[in-house]
Amino acid sequence: MTEAAVGFYRRMKDLPSTHLLGTGTAMCAGCGGLEALHEIYDIIGDKSIFVNAAGCMTLLSVYPFTPFRGSWLYTAMASAPAGAQGVRDALDILKAKKQITDDEDMQVVVLTGDGSAYGMGLSATSGAMERDLDFLYICYDNEGYGNTGQQYSGATPHAAKTSTSKGARGFAGFKKDLFSIWAAHQPAYVATVIGAEPLDLAKKIEKARSLKGPRMIIALSPCPTGWDYDPKETVNIGKLAVKTGVWPLKEYINGKVVHTKIPRQRQPLEDYLKCQGRYKHLFEPQRNEVMLNQLQQKIDQYWDNING
Amino acid sequence: MYRIRLHGRGGQGMKTASRILGSALFLEGYEVQDAPRYGAERRGAPIFAYVRADKQPINERGIIASPDLIIVADDSLVPVAAAGVLAGVDADCVLLINSDDDKETWRQRLNFKGKIYTLPVETEDRAELRFIGATCSGAAACLLGIISRESLTQAIQTELSALGMAVINTNLTKALAAFDHMQTAAGCVSEGKAILATDYQSPDWVQLPFEEARTSAPAIHAAATSVNVNTGVWRTLRPVIDYQLCNKCWWICSTFCPDGAIDVDDNNTPQIDYQHCKGCMICVAQCPPHAISSVAEELAQANEKKAAKRKQGVRS
Ligand SMILES: Cc1ncc(C[n+]2csc(CCOP(=O)(O)OP(=O)(O)O)c2C)c(N)n1
Ligand code: SF4
Repeated sequence: MTEAAVGFYRRMKDLPSTHLLGTGTAMCAGCGGLEALHEIYDIIGDKSIFVNAAGCMTLLSVYPFTPFRGSWLYTAMASAPAGAQGVRDALDILKAKKQITDDEDMQVVVLTGDGSAYGMGLSATSGAMERDLDFLYICYDNEGYGNTGQQYSGATPHAAKTSTSKGARGFAGFKKDLFSIWAAHQPAYVATVIGAEPLDLAKKIEKARSLKGPRMIIALSPCPTGWDYDPKETVNIGKLAVKTGVWPLKEYINGKVVHTKIPRQRQPLEDYLKCQGRYKHLFEPQRNEVMLNQLQQKIDQYWDNING
Repeated sequence: MYRIRLHGRGGQGMKTASRILGSALFLEGYEVQDAPRYGAERRGAPIFAYVRADKQPINERGIIASPDLIIVADDSLVPVAAAGVLAGVDADCVLLINSDDDKETWRQRLNFKGKIYTLPVETEDRAELRFIGATCSGAAACLLGIISRESLTQAIQTELSALGMAVINTNLTKALAAFDHMQTAAGCVSEGKAILATDYQSPDWVQLPFEEARTSAPAIHAAATSVNVNTGVWRTLRPVIDYQLCNKCWWICSTFCPDGAIDVDDNNTPQIDYQHCKGCMICVAQCPPHAISSVAEELAQANEKKAAKRKQGVRS
């Protein structure tokens, strides 16, 4: 791959000024997942088929309305990558039979929430990577089962309150490291992105688009409804996720992991936590110093390993 | 049987309001059903909840078609067809609406035959709007006339127990104030008649032949048809760009708008699509020169009407 093939999005001004994804969808006002998706869709373009597992984004396409300009297919929660296999195979057969030209070929894109990606759909995803399926996977990670009322998922961070972890200590488990789980399969590409860092996102999606094989994207998706904050804060919270080091922006390619944006001076984690209702119990009625320290230490450990 | 239908927007707490009313009625010895309608209950989108209460076992199920009491948390929902606020009303129906316009205005506007009560909109601050559910449930409890202050209090404490004392107390204060505010109308809601299964009128069925899967499978043959959905009606706040201040950076508001409702025209000038803007206010928070301000939607619409009138005046 040449630098020219991936070098279009160099500056903010290179970002698209009109948008491809249709307006009028049923996502919440201020949805960080939709923000990431619309930025991604501008780059993937309309020659794409979306295979969507059950979740908030199922409501993107409700007959007769769709925001997409290409096709969309709905699958059960655990099976979107299997659906993508079927679509890819069908396209390949059409190509082999010369019923479509190479030009008419399409990107097959899996779109699921974290409930699918980190949990129910992990086995199907593993299988798809094992078969080296040529597809793009976009996981919008709102750290819980958003569509059904924010129950905890394999992506819920330690101590966050969800509708199934309401106690004084929040969720007892730890967020799975899906990036590493995916990268361990050695697919063509794995990257983390966030809508609040659109240039980093654009570069990565452009790169993913130019590659073949499994290309896996996790977009942290601040969710006003599930994380409990005013919708206008979505981008602020997204930026804080990067600046505090909670959401490392990185990519895996050719067997190597590279961090694409290393926060020089990491902001205290607390700045990220205290603007979200799901962490309120860490500050009220009194500060839970022990837990706040534990959470900060975990972040520090991660970056100590990276920065050496 | 009492049949109560609650209307609000996702995030305004009307599901909780229905639970509070349900629990309070249960404490008063009623059989109770309360349920929100499951669907796209997104922040800002119209949502519905239903409460039935009777001294007899309740055999009715499903949505409430002819309500005895309608509670509307957000008056901007009334003109929204999808919200169906006035569906199935008759002269015995009581309407409780959170609005700055008085009941006479609403009576004329809606040609409503039943009783109307208004709760003054308390705030345009979204953080405060959280309590509108409690306020509505307090007022409704009084209008029903069969819920005591004590049962209301206990119901709120139970339903909100996970939220901590501070939140419970604010909700209690708001609910009880609304309860007291409605005293002159206490008990004005009357029980609706029983609906018998034998009275059931089946709709006019239209027999459709089974089609081949290829014909009946819901394929959409056009691109981006979602633009026909007017999500602009979700908005309670409107972002307004001051083009004097906008420094035409072009990408910030346009990229961050989750809905893609801000495009940039040929002159590098952002244009907000109010048909679809849901009023999340991310653009207001992100615009570096603070060129976008937040205006209450109601006020913005009133100003638009005034401006349109003025224009007409000039023309004629
Ligand atoms: C096998 C199965 N179990 C449960 C459901 C119900 N369900 C629909 S959407 C959803 C939540 C999905 O969560 P996630 O994948 O994180 O996506 P989000 O809702 O957050 O967008 C659930 C549990 C389902 N559709 N299929
Ligand atoms: S619940 Fe969260 S992820 Fe789902 S549509 Fe709403 S904001 Fe987006």
